[in-house]
Amino acid sequence: MVERALLLCLLLIGFWGVVAKKNIIKKIFGLNILNAAAVMLFILEGNRIGSEAPILESGLAQVVDPIPQALMLTAIVIGVCVTALALALAVHLYQITGSFDIETIRERIQDET
Amino acid sequence: MGKRKAWSPTLQACLAIGAMGVVLLPVFLSQTPWPTVARDYLMQYGQDESGARNLVSAIYLGYRAFDTLGETIVLLVAVIGTMGLLSRVESLVNTVGDDDNTIQTVSAFSLRGDKRSSHVLRTHLLEVVTGKIGPIVLLFGFYVMLYGHLSPGGGFQGGVIIASGIVFLALGNQQDNTSALSKSSILGGIESVSFLLFIIVAMSGIFFGKGFFGNPLADSAYPVGFIVLLNSIIGLKVGASIGFMCIAMMGGHD
Repeated sequence: MVERALLLCLLLIGFWGVVAKKNIIKKIFGLNILNAAAVMLFILEGNRIGSEAPILESGLAQVVDPIPQALMLTAIVIGVCVTALALALAVHLYQITGSFDIETIRERIQDET
Repeated sequence: MGKRKAWSPTLQACLAIGAMGVVLLPVFLSQTPWPTVARDYLMQYGQDESGARNLVSAIYLGYRAFDTLGETIVLLVAVIGTMGLLSRVESLVNTVGDDDNTIQTVSAFSLRGDKRSSHVLRTHLLEVVTGKIGPIVLLFGFYVMLYGHLSPGGGFQGGVIIASGIVFLALGNQQDNTSALSKSSILGGIESVSFLLFIIVAMSGIFFGKGFFGNPLADSAYPVGFIVLLNSIIGLKVGASIGFMCIAMMGGHD
């Protein structure tokens, strides 16, 4: 139960980073933390019905559920892709406006149009 | 902009987080028993049907290989998007002030010769450590990739380790000799060829009457060969594409 509450806190920290931070890079890191919290929740859920790694050897009784692990493999790779794309967009915005702060970016884009 | 007074940003953020917490609390604290039926099936038949002792490999390259195909396409699209955006960023060095004490940009990592060694982040420690450790990391990546069916690991994990080996090799060349592995044309080539190979191997099952992503070796003595092959292709693809993106973000795309 404690680990679940901690994961909820972690997810809310990531959400706070996305919502409240002004710096784009910090927002992207918040998205990453959110992703990590969701991944860990799934691993924890699969962990509930066993304790051994899902690599079959003789004498294994209760392995964890391998399906959440396989799905989270996908989620991790897609998280990396999203992060890379978001960072590239941030670099592009920085080059156009000279700032990572969303308020400044908004002002400078409004000034130009 | 409306006339009404906006709430303070902190209050807005607190409200959003509170609402998010209320919505997610039941998800995180649910005590529903996790179904064991899939786990039991896989423990009983997984190794016979796919040949892999690592059940995670058996799932993502056997039962749910379509997921993996979609995932590699997502990776491809992310690489294309990142490259498309970064290729418009000609040189970040010009846009930042040339004060030597500030950490200018990562772009300066790709400078050649004297300029390169004068960069603040380019210490001898970095060059010696990354140059020496790079080949070892590459070897370890290939081990993780090739033994993914027997031990913890697999194509994606091994691929990421290979990518870090590529990044180490790109960072650690002291005498300015560039390795072929940090050239964007080579990395892009590896990525596209391995994606093509992935599709071809996925279709090979059709000719053996097993269907798309069917295992053509299912009736032979070594059904696991299919998973090893797919793992190596995915490892090469992930390693090349993530290494490609990292090197491009360090400014080495030319």
